[in-house]
Order: sequence, then C-alpha cells, then structure tokens
Amino acid sequence: MNTRYGMVIDVDRCTGCGACMIACAAENNVPPAAERATPRTGITPMLVHTVSNGMEGSLKREAFLPVACMQCENETPCVKVCPQQAVEVDASTGIVMQMPQRCLGCRYCMTACPYHARYFNWWDPAWPAGMEKSLNPGVAVRMRGVVEKCNLCHARLHAAQEKAAAAGKREIDPRDYVPACVEACPTGAITFGSLADENCAAARAARSPEAFRLLARLGTEPKVYYRSARAWVRALAEPRNETRRKEVQRG
Amino acid sequence: MASAVLTDRRWIARGAKRTSTSRFALWLAPWTLLLALGIYAAGLCLYYGLNQTNMDNRFAFGLWIFLDLSVIALGAGAFFTGFLVYILRRTELKPILNAAVVLGFICYSGAVAVLLVDVGQPLRGWFTFWHPNVHSMLTEVTFCISCYLLVLTLEFIPVILRNRQLEKAAPAAVFEYRLHHLVPVLAGVGTFLSFFHQGSLGGLYGVLRGRPFAFREGFSVWPSTFFLFVLSAIAAGPSFLMLVTAAVEKLTGRRQVPRAVFRRLGFLSGVLLAAYVAAKSVDTLIWLNVTSPSVGFAPWEYYAYPPFGSALLFIEIVVFGLLPAGLLLYPRTASSHRWLLTGAALACSGILLNRFVMTVQTLALPTLAFDEFLRYIPSWQEVATFGGLIGYGVIVFSLSYRYLPLFGEAKKEDLHVSRS
Amino acid sequence: MEFTRRDLLTWGSGITAGLVLTPVPWKLLDDTSIWTQNWPWIPQPARGPVEVKNSFCALCPNGCGMRVRMAAGWPVGISGMQHHPVNRGALCPLGFGAHQLNWHPRRLRQVGHQGRACSWSDALAAFRKACAEGPVAIIDGYPDRAASAICHGFARRHGSYRVALRAEQRALLPYEKWSGVPAAALGYDLENTGTILSFGAPLLDGWSAPGRFARLWSVRGAGSADSQLRLIQVEAAPSHTAACAWRWVPIMPGSDAALAAGIALVLHEEHRTAPNAPVPSTTLADAAARTGLSVDAIRDLARLLCEHGPALAISAQPNPAVAALNVALGAIGTRGGIVRRGRRTEPLAAADTLPSHLRAVLVDASVPADFLASTEAEIFRFAAWEGSAGRNDWLLPAPGFLEELTDIPTAPLSSIETYAVAPPLSKPPAEVKSAAQFLMAVDSSIPDVEKIIHARCRQLFQSRAGHLQGEELAAAAPPESAQAFEKQLWSGAVWVGDPPHFGGIPCRLTAWPQSAAPVARAGWTAAWPAPVLPPLATKLYQESSLREPPERRAI
Repeated sequence: MNTRYGMVIDVDRCTGCGACMIACAAENNVPPAAERATPRTGITPMLVHTVSNGMEGSLKREAFLPVACMQCENETPCVKVCPQQAVEVDASTGIVMQMPQRCLGCRYCMTACPYHARYFNWWDPAWPAGMEKSLNPGVAVRMRGVVEKCNLCHARLHAAQEKAAAAGKREIDPRDYVPACVEACPTGAITFGSLADENCAAARAARSPEAFRLLARLGTEPKVYYRSARAWVRALAEPRNETRRKEVQRG
Repeated sequence: MASAVLTDRRWIARGAKRTSTSRFALWLAPWTLLLALGIYAAGLCLYYGLNQTNMDNRFAFGLWIFLDLSVIALGAGAFFTGFLVYILRRTELKPILNAAVVLGFICYSGAVAVLLVDVGQPLRGWFTFWHPNVHSMLTEVTFCISCYLLVLTLEFIPVILRNRQLEKAAPAAVFEYRLHHLVPVLAGVGTFLSFFHQGSLGGLYGVLRGRPFAFREGFSVWPSTFFLFVLSAIAAGPSFLMLVTAAVEKLTGRRQVPRAVFRRLGFLSGVLLAAYVAAKSVDTLIWLNVTSPSVGFAPWEYYAYPPFGSALLFIEIVVFGLLPAGLLLYPRTASSHRWLLTGAALACSGILLNRFVMTVQTLALPTLAFDEFLRYIPSWQEVATFGGLIGYGVIVFSLSYRYLPLFGEAKKEDLHVSRS
Repeated sequence: MEFTRRDLLTWGSGITAGLVLTPVPWKLLDDTSIWTQNWPWIPQPARGPVEVKNSFCALCPNGCGMRVRMAAGWPVGISGMQHHPVNRGALCPLGFGAHQLNWHPRRLRQVGHQGRACSWSDALAAFRKACAEGPVAIIDGYPDRAASAICHGFARRHGSYRVALRAEQRALLPYEKWSGVPAAALGYDLENTGTILSFGAPLLDGWSAPGRFARLWSVRGAGSADSQLRLIQVEAAPSHTAACAWRWVPIMPGSDAALAAGIALVLHEEHRTAPNAPVPSTTLADAAARTGLSVDAIRDLARLLCEHGPALAISAQPNPAVAALNVALGAIGTRGGIVRRGRRTEPLAAADTLPSHLRAVLVDASVPADFLASTEAEIFRFAAWEGSAGRNDWLLPAPGFLEELTDIPTAPLSSIETYAVAPPLSKPPAEVKSAAQFLMAVDSSIPDVEKIIHARCRQLFQSRAGHLQGEELAAAAPPESAQAFEKQLWSGAVWVGDPPHFGGIPCRLTAWPQSAAPVARAGWTAAWPAPVLPPLATKLYQESSLREPPERRAI
C-alpha cells in the first residue's frame, strides 16, 4: 500500500521547549552555528516559531508553531523549480527528498518554498576536534553551498526497511520509524504516520475539524497539519494581514 | 615616431581617429581597478563561501540576481537588433549592429560569470545539463543563456577578427568569411534562444506559487511574466544601446552613427514600451483583482510597508513606463536628441525597477501569518562584484571601440568587397 | 621550422577537437562531482556497528532515563527511555545534544592551580596537606549517589558534608522547617493533583524532571477547556508555561506572597481552609493592591482551587507564603499534594552556609556551575568543562557525560522512590578523575562506587519492596536472584518503590510566615547545571529567535 507520511502537530500541546529542534539537528548531523550565524543564516530543519494573537498586555496570548518541510503533495514548489532535479517526491512514501549531493546551490527552491523551510549551508560545517565521533552514521554530512531541509528522518525509514527486510517482511513496523522530532517531543505534540492509512492516528487527527494547514489556499497540499482548539491559532493558516492586525490592535 | 614603444597605433584601423595610448590607459585605469576589486570580492566568495554576502535563507536571491536579470534585459538589444537586421532586413540599423553584439556579449558573459559565483557549488554547474528538469524555468534559463552566450561569442569573433592585425592572418580571414555566412542563421537562433530565456527569467518568478506577489497565471506553462519580461527586454534593449552609443559619442567627441539610427531605435523602444505598459497594466489589474485574492492574499497588503508602498507600482508603470513611451513616440520629443535619450534612460530605469521589484521586493514580503517584512542590504563583496562587472563591461567595450570596427560597419563592408 | 600564427590556430583547434572525443574531459567533469561531495575537510561519521543502549543522565539530580544510540563505540544519538516512571521517555531540550558535550572546546583536560597547569599528584598532595591542617567540607550537587556516600564517608572523618540544593528542592524547605520531615524526603504527588497554582514555576519549561510534568500535562491538562488537570500560572510576564496554562494570571512582579496570603484569606473567610491552618494578618484589599488584581479576581482564584481539587500550590523558589497556602489548602501529606517518599529522617545540610575556619572545600562536578562557595578556604573544584563560577583555586578535570559509572537515586520532587544504575557509555579521556576517585586516593579505606552499587542492589532485592520496570520486563517474571535483579538494573531497568502513602507529615505552622524577598526569575538555561551548553543549543537562540541569548555560551 502506498504510504503518505505526514504529521499533525498539536499546537495546544507545544510548549516551545525546542527539544524537537535539537533532536533534529543531532539526528541529521547539522553542525552547531558558525560564529557569525544568525536566525536568518542558521540551519534549523525544524524551527519553532513564537506566534501571538496580536494583542498587548494582559490580552496577549502566545503559542508555539513548529515548522519543518511541509512535504507538499501537489505541484510541490521546490521540486518543480530545481534545475537539476536535486529534490523529488518519493512516489512510495510521499516524502520530499532533498539530495544535497546533487544540489548546485542556486537557491531557487528557497525562494519557491512558501514556508521558508529550506536552509542553505552558508558555511562549511565545522565541529570541534573529536566531535565528529558523535555524528550519526546514517546521515551524510553536507558541504557548504548546498540546500538542505527536513527529510522526515529518511535514514530512520531506511533502517526500518532494512530491519523489516532482514525479518522477511514487506511492510515496516510503524514503531520502528519515528522521526527524531516526534520522538523528542516531551508532550507528544507531534503525531506522525501515513495520512493515506485511514486507521492511522495521524490521518484521523488530520481529519479533525480543529485541524488546519498553513497557507492551504496556495494549493500545495502540505502533509503537515496543525491542530488547535483556539480560533486565533487556526487563523494563522491565513496569510499575514497588516490591516487586520492594526484593526485588532486599535480596538 | 615618438612613443614608438608604447604606441598601439598598428592595432588601430587605418584612418580611424583614436586617442593617444597614454590617455587611453588613463581612461582604463579606474575601470581596471574596479574590475580588480570585483575579482578580489568574487575570489573571497569562492574561497570562503557565500557567507561573505549578506544573502540569507530568506533573501536567498539578492543583489546579484537583480544584477543578472537587469543586465540580461538590457543586453537584449543584441538579439533584437540582429533579428531586425538579418531577419527583418532593417538595414538602417547595420551601423549599430556590432556595438549591439559586443554589448550583448558583455552583458551575458558578465552575467554568467556572476552566476558562477552566486551558486554554492560552481563545480557542479554542469549538473543542470546532465539532469535537466523540464518543469523548471531555471533549467530553461541555463540552457538558453549558455547556448546564447555561445552564439554571441560566435557573433563577436568575426568582429574581433576584423582587427587590423588579426585580419592579416589568412586562416582568420577565411574563418571570418565563413562565419559571415553563418551570421543570419546565428541571428535567427539567437532570437529564438533569447525570446525563451528572456521570458524564462520572468517565468522564474511568475511560477512561484508560494509568492503570490510574483505569481501570475498565463498561457499553458508560461505565466504572464514570461511574456512581459520578453516585451520589456526588447523595449529596453534598444534604449540601452542608444544610451551606450550616446555615451561613446560624448566621450569621444564625435558622432558614431547617423541620427536616423537613434530615431529608429527610439521609435522601436517606444512602440514596444507602449505595448509593454498596456500589457503590464492589464496583467496588474488581473493580478490585483483575481490572482492574488484567490489565494487569500489581499493585494493592498503588499504595499503596507513603507517605503515600498503603492507609489512604487505607479512609478514603475507610469513614470518609468508610460512617460518614456510618450517621449520616445511623440514626434516633438522624438526628434530631439536630448529628449530621446531622456526617454531611453527612463525606459531603462523602468526595467531596472521592475527587475528589482520582482527579485527583491518579492522576497521581502511576508507569506506566512507570522512572517515579518524583511530588509536586506548587500555586503561590500556583492557590491564590488557588481562593480567588477561594470568595470569589465567598460573595459571590453572600450577595447572593442578602440581596436575594432564597432560602429560604421557599412564602410568596412565596402572595404572588404574591394579587396577580394 | 618556425611556428606561425597559422600553426597555432590549426594545432589549437585540432587538440581541442581531439580532446573532446577522448574520455578525458568527461571523466574530469564527473570527478568534479565526486570531489565536491568529499572534500577532505568535511568530517565523516564513523563507520561501525550501531546499537542502542540504556543509560541515565547524571548531569542533574533528576536522572532521566535515556536510550543512547552508539556507533563505533561512541554515543551518536539520545532519546528518552519510555519505561522510566519519572520522565517517561521525555528529556529536557538540551539533553538531546548532551552527547556532544564531551568534545566541547572548553572541556577541562588538565589540572589547573590558579591558572597554572599542574598534575594530579600536585592536587592530591595539596589536598592531603589541607586535610591534615584543618577541617574540609565536601560539597555535593547530586546527593544519595554511591559517589555521594563516598563523599559523605570521607567528610565524616575529615570535616563536613554539604549539598548544593537546586531552587526547586529549596522550595520544599519550609515544610521541613514546620514538620521536621526532611525536604529531601518530600515530593509532589502531581499525578493526582486536580488544580495546580504555580507561582512562576516553569513547570513546562525546565522544572524538576521536565519530562514528568510535560507527559502528565499532555495527557491530563493540555488543549481542552475542560481539563482534568488545571494549571493556573501566576506570573508577571508571559512565559512558555503561561502560554500553555489553562489560565494565566498576570500579577505585579514580586507579589507572589501577597497573592498567596489573599487566597488564604478568602479560603478562611469561606471556611474552606484545612483545620488549624494559620490566617494571614493582611487584608484582601491589601493583597489586591499589591498584586494588581481585583478583589473579585482573588476570590475567583480561591474558588477555582476548591472547585476542581485536589489543589496544590507550587513556587519555583522557596516561598514560605506559598508553602503556607498549601497548609491552608490541606495539601500537606494528602493525595495530589505534598507527599512523603522513603524513610529518610536526616535532612540534607545545605551548602549555602559553610562552617567557618575551613581549611579547604572540595566541590564535586555535580554541583551546578553557578554555585558560589561563600568561604575563604582553598577550593578544589571538580568540573568537566571550564566556566564554573567563583574563585576556584584548583580546577580538576572530572568525567563528563556518560563517562563514569554512577547510580541514579530517587529524583527530587517525585512522589515515588526510584533506583537505577547508569553504566558509562563513553570512554573518558585519560586525564580525568572524579571527586570520588580522588577521595579514595586520599583515603584508601573508602570502598569504590561499584562496590557500593552492588551492595545497594542486593539490599533492594532483599527488601522485597517495589518492583522493576523495564522494556523487556513487561512479560517476564520478577527476577529470582540478587544477580538477576542487579543484571536487570545494569541493562536499564528502573526499580520503582511502593506508591506514596499519605499522611506522615505533621505540620506545626501556627502563624502566617513572613514573606521572603522576591527572587528574580531564572532564565531558560537556569536548570542546566553544566558550565557549558551543548553545542547544538545554538539552534534555540542564535539560529532562531525562540530563546533569549543565554549568559553561558554553547560554543
């Protein structure tokens, strides 16, 4: 059966601790920041944004929104624009696979991504002496000048597939394939699974009336859903609206 | 002869009046410095990586892409003039044809050089040719620009081979003669390639579904920006050619081409510009009222961030579009050399503004609800590389003017016939 | 024969055309792609067998259970241990990058004395001399370990033993004062609480074992209007916990005690306080004025606490007024409140005040980096990384993360006793020595850590109390022998004590306590004890805007 891996992130359970960000970086051999790195030049395949309802003082409410590659299913923007097919949608899993080894570093995909979920290696990766012993052997280390992004911990899928093959099975055990961010989240805010499997928890959560996707109207059909009981959080699905923001602040 | 050691007289065509070698060297000096600084800055970027620039994950495209798009649009005069002369047989533009080719060569070779610095892994530049993505506008741009650069080189070589000293080498003359017959074919191919990559450069932004500020519907796989870019490029190309020729005339103190050439170029630019303004206005109205709102992006939101307000749209279409079209077409202003050049300058500014809006403003604008409007200032390395390109252009053009029959091609033609 | 321009052109074009027809340019082109993927300065991960082992984090006293992925003998990835009854598979965010700490550029690898490089024998000689000349104090940051027993044993003969308490442990001190039950024997029975009134405690953001409350809240308290567990966060500024709380009550900074008093007053007025609870002498209007809340808002809070019980008040820092509110709420020794775990009767002596006339102070590596020993004595500071605060005469390189065998006693604040063994998973550098090893070298009669752990395991088995919890244990029968029991512990099982019994905390508070001076709110790295942050912490503050830049550097 074709799987369509996706996630449902429960915004009401996200505490903004950042465990997902660090676990993701550790799993994917992302180097620590270069000295001059900033929030706009760092590499954070999983990035937690702090969002607010736009009010001030005691009316201010905040929430935390983890954003990684949305694994767009339809007219995947980055796939369409890459001049040398360094990114493709894996037909059997739905994962948008980035191949840094083929990337030219033209960064066209980064301008195309509506979710800003792609990161460029502005520096060569560097670890202090000896720290390379702590690198995850399942993931290739990138070099500078290439783009990278969340691959839904594809190395873990690969390991799960190997394990299933060694046991003579065709399908992997879902418990063997858990991306690092999902595993790390202390509140279990991220539900991961195949959205094509109706019985899967992720698919059921995605069908909830409180579920929403960011910029859904662009038509990219992201496979990362969010969920919140709070209306102002669900309103974040829509694009930024300065006019509305000023209205809300004024009165 | 005095200064026999330093003189390059023998390289200059017989009868052509050029300034003294030392004065020419003096003229080249600051541009050489600029070029050297540009090469140094580019070298830093190649050695240390693109962290030398102020581009970042949100401004993945910056000054250099704006530069590439602008320079290629302005260099469109090359293919367009070639098209007019060889395909449409408009022989009154022959005097300026060589200059157009050289200008085109400068623009394209410079753009390709800057692109090689702009990518993170220049050694992988050939991957696009080996693993092309038929859906990507950038694949199309890469192929067409590379091929067109080849075409321009082939068109430039005969001009180089017309140099007084080089002409003497018989194989060179034979080669040049053979190429001569190829030129109309090259012009045709060049037109075809240019049409596509000028368009694809517009298509680069028009297909960005994730950037509703730039996204446009269009015809089949081509968004409207594809056609708008072609139109604006062929409108700007002749204007830029006019401005460069006028600059040469000012610097050398003598006329290089008949006034009719200017008027013809101005007329062409004006007509195309008028068509462009009409098309752009329609396109803008559709975008404002249909395309953008259909994906939830209210158009006035784009202009909520001063100083990038809606005045920018007005300036682009009216001040730098409608106004120069009027100046270039209205007989009273079109017949005045000064107004013609003013119109040309405004037209070129309009194209630059359009490319800026498409490359820089698109990326500055928020898409997600919690995005901010971003600012980007290029680093000195980026500016220096830009400067290096300008230095390179001035140097190549100056050398071409000094040693090659850049203008007055018709006279050389006669000379050629009388020899055989 | 001269070489003319014609020859140049002919040969040039011939060679070019010929080369294109050979494989040379195409091979070179292909090679460029291989070079660009394998530049020598790009580090490669080690190749080797990958296995997953269990261990426990000993960086802070919470001792969270971890699953550690190992490749070629080194830890390459951390995840949480699901079967641990306290952290239940969750870890603090920084813990996921802890496996890189041992190679931090600020790793201590050399004994230092007042800035000069020295040797271990120099340090030993100096310490022996100090012990001979006068009393020494041993300061421990992670009490009740086997290594702590060594420190304690040494201190009994040569001086005194002190514990550097964390703020959240200190918050239980008022109950120790009023009941005589050691704070170290007290915990919060959060699993049964109905409403938590948190006075600025970062419950969801670095408090106690972060995983414990996060898991609990996720199941019982998150994301719904009608939660089983209601978290009311009282805090001046919106924090991460306030953003997620069931209700956020913003008050004036430093007015926690006033609010606690106000609520106790309302409870007293409405006859809802526990019997014999003290009454604050302040007025409701005064409390309202100090906190910036209305009188109705304070009444409302009191009502909420009673409506969905059991209620429990938690403060991040020791605050007698908040503790008194718990007395008023009847949360001492009751279900969902403050409970007693274990049979400890001796309180831990805090390292805040050290005896005067000390000759030397030895500070274990487990003591948090910001600890300042208020003493004039010679300080022997153990640490695995540079950056410990204060004047440290001797800087002694200690084992780092997962580099030494230790046992994991009951986590502070938990409602049940637990015990586990954390084997070392990373080879320590040759130059490091733990404080326990150092003390053993000074006093050879002290047993080593491993012997102590063996003894403890045997004792636990023989007590027949509690049970073992582990992944492979779910189906298996309980172990028959002490060896089998200990083997389970060494492979990652956790011994869990009996459920908490209620009562047993006789609280003798008669008058409403004086309020303590308000303490500034701690930053997001306050709970992290090591002097350096894991290198990947830059993701949270330098490469994103999620957190404020901390005082301590990551790299």
